[in-house]
Amino acid sequence: MLKAPSIRALVVLALLGALFLALPAYVGAYGLKFATRMIILAIFVVSLDFILGLAGLVSFGHAAFFGVGAYAVYFVSSESEAANVFVALGAGVAGAAVAALLIGAFVCLTRGFYFIMVTLAAAQMMFSLFHDTDIAKGSDGAYIMIKPDLTIGATTLIDFDNRTTFYYVCLALLVASVLALFWLARTPFGRIVQGLKANETRLSALGYNVYQFKLAAFVVAGAFAGLAGALFACIDGFVTPELFSWHQSGLAIMMAVLGGAGTLFGPILGVLAYVSLEETLKTASLVGSFVADHWRLGTGATLVVAVLLSPDGLAGFLRGKTVPKKVEPLKDVMPAAAPRKARALATRDLSKSFGGLRAVDGVTADFAPDLVHAIIGPNGAGKTTFTNLLSGAFRPTAGQILVDGENIAGWPAHKIARRGVGRSFQRTNIFATFTVEENARIAAQAETPSVFRLSEGTARENQIAKVAHALSVVGLADRAGAVAGAMSNGEQRQLEIAMLIAGGGGILILDEPLAGMGPEETRRVVELLRDLKSDHTIILIEHDMDAVFAVADTLTVLALGRLIAHGSPDEVRRDEKVISAYLGGHAPAQGKGAPA
Amino acid sequence: MSLILVQILNGLQYGLLLFLAASGLTLVFGILGVINLAHGSFYMIGAYMALTLTSYTGDIFLALAAGIPLAFLIGMAIEWLFVRHLYKRDHLQQVLLTFALILVFNEAQQSIWGNYPKSIPMPSYLSSSISLTPELGYSVYRLALMAICVGLALLMMFVIQKTRVGRLIRAAESNPEMVEALGFDSRVLFRVVFAAGAALAAAAGMLAAPVESAYPGIGERVLIISFVVVVIGGIGSIRGAFLGSLLIGLADAFGKVFVPKFSSVLIYALMALVLVLRPNGLFGRS
Repeated sequence: MLKAPSIRALVVLALLGALFLALPAYVGAYGLKFATRMIILAIFVVSLDFILGLAGLVSFGHAAFFGVGAYAVYFVSSESEAANVFVALGAGVAGAAVAALLIGAFVCLTRGFYFIMVTLAAAQMMFSLFHDTDIAKGSDGAYIMIKPDLTIGATTLIDFDNRTTFYYVCLALLVASVLALFWLARTPFGRIVQGLKANETRLSALGYNVYQFKLAAFVVAGAFAGLAGALFACIDGFVTPELFSWHQSGLAIMMAVLGGAGTLFGPILGVLAYVSLEETLKTASLVGSFVADHWRLGTGATLVVAVLLSPDGLAGFLRGKTVPKKVEPLKDVMPAAAPRKARALATRDLSKSFGGLRAVDGVTADFAPDLVHAIIGPNGAGKTTFTNLLSGAFRPTAGQILVDGENIAGWPAHKIARRGVGRSFQRTNIFATFTVEENARIAAQAETPSVFRLSEGTARENQIAKVAHALSVVGLADRAGAVAGAMSNGEQRQLEIAMLIAGGGGILILDEPLAGMGPEETRRVVELLRDLKSDHTIILIEHDMDAVFAVADTLTVLALGRLIAHGSPDEVRRDEKVISAYLGGHAPAQGKGAPA
Repeated sequence: MSLILVQILNGLQYGLLLFLAASGLTLVFGILGVINLAHGSFYMIGAYMALTLTSYTGDIFLALAAGIPLAFLIGMAIEWLFVRHLYKRDHLQQVLLTFALILVFNEAQQSIWGNYPKSIPMPSYLSSSISLTPELGYSVYRLALMAICVGLALLMMFVIQKTRVGRLIRAAESNPEMVEALGFDSRVLFRVVFAAGAALAAAAGMLAAPVESAYPGIGERVLIISFVVVVIGGIGSIRGAFLGSLLIGLADAFGKVFVPKFSSVLIYALMALVLVLRPNGLFGRS
């Protein structure tokens, strides 16, 4: 999660701020314009960092929104009269936000590799649109005749034609943008955006619609890029399709990473570093005429080396000392009793085929409320596939899944989670870069998973109580400040269960919760399961038979995808089919007369 | 009618060239797991190699014979110097490093060959045109180009499907650790795959040079369209790349005639359509 900048970083930023405040008094027109460009570029790169560094989405088409922002100013400007500053910048932000919404609706369908390519292609499409057609004078680019100003009555308060005024407006907007994005990152909304980077599968299993959050983050980043573009158009009063160029997008990524992606202030340092590097390499008196003639070679080579050495960017040098934070053990407070969302689970002829393989084959079973139901079976029996069907990770090929009588087969994972079905994964699945408390918090927050939640509101107290309760119950109350990824495997599994409790689901599906746990941890979890069943229905997949018999109220046995037994542990233990399935097909019915 | 015939031929020719470029891109991602933005630079290098080598040898085909092995070696060098460090890194770093490589290649190109477009002579014995219909002629070189592309494509399919190396490549694509565990040096395999991709892209650049000449930025244009092809076809799928290339080639050829100003936009719209219908491309694995 995004941390507040360290003292050292704040000092550097304050010094930079002072330097930039005083700058207009010391530099000439050229220097001022140069600094203005740099500041606008910084707004652009910081906006990229919101989606690149925080949400972990590598957008290679961010220049599309920069370009739209710039062209929006052109479209609202007339030839005879200056446009209002608010109209011009507002048009830039709004235009870019709409473009980001339209483009984002497509690109957020994809992930990873496709996301990179598709964002690149989308920006290139915008380039073609403005380059090949006659919109805004096509490839020649177009002039904004009169720059925007702010006039009330007869007095002009702000005139973008005045270089110094414009410079300070840009500087103020940079500070405002960084603060706004920083604030946004710390809201409940921002927590989930950062969850996208840490663990998308987990988010969706907690009940969040990740598509909506990706799209929202994409639009936010696009809107701020639009602001940068609108300001950029006001520097020279000239817009050109080159603003959409994919080099622009690529360089922005370079600068963000160079400065330190995911910090929101690092990109500012990245812009400064990159621009200084470029200017130095272009200056023949410093580097000699050969290097100055081929300065692009120099920047390219420097960047290659920078990536290979792979630093955390410049912000890495400004990181505070990592003093392990002393966090008071959380006190267990009972959260306000909320009715559990779902209780009874049943399947009807549930099947899943992969090609010709029927991994789950016509399973019909009832799992009554408030009991622990263990699902057992030899390896390859289809247990994990079965749970993946229940939680919506896989779509059933046929059959029904009934939650309190409602068929949820085919629903997406997040919708099923929201209906009250929580699950843990065979491989521990948490937000590794978040602290324990933040992990539980993001789960507790899933109760009201609307997209734009900017403050916790009245739910805050109860959420904190839920987090404290859930962590206390699993025994992690004194680990609240630890970074989840650094804990032992057993503790991570405990945390995963705490997240399910905090998430408020009434049906918990636990896929091998005891794997990799020592005897002490196992004992604790078994006890925990007994406690939980007073108000949860638990589906447990486990290989540890001692634990299973200690806690399970019913056993369901799967073999080769079929249900072969379902009943109380004692009944199942005596079942002939179960005995033979576990002994395997190689040792059929010993002592009953082997077949010929 | 003859206009449609010509555009079909032009579309196929463009599509086949694209296939040579895109197949390398999709193979390198499918097997090495690396997103290589500098792939287009190999196409550019091919085009300029055609310029220089043709001026020495006097014939584009002799240039091709010398240029393909040369491009293969360049590919191996790039893999050894840079790309091999990226296998364990995330997409972001891959994108950054290969983007920085583009900057270096572009500057090198401008330093060596300058900023102006250069034309490459067609071999005289192929510079005529044959008549397809009484009123329609078509360049013999373009037909030869298509034949060579088809030949190279078939050769590649043969290597991948029928040979020992091909079997290893296919195995490495589904599970590189296992191939390593079985005792094969996947580093060598990766280097060969990368170099082969580079050679294919360079071959496309060389073949296209007499038709479209060599100019700065030529590689990037091909790179972006190759991305579109790979997205449409499905990452890692040669079959998808083939279909995607021809689709884009034809869409481009007809777009230029019927909606000249929107022909590029048309291609991206096509991509968006495929993505909505099949988010993992036509032949992509989910």
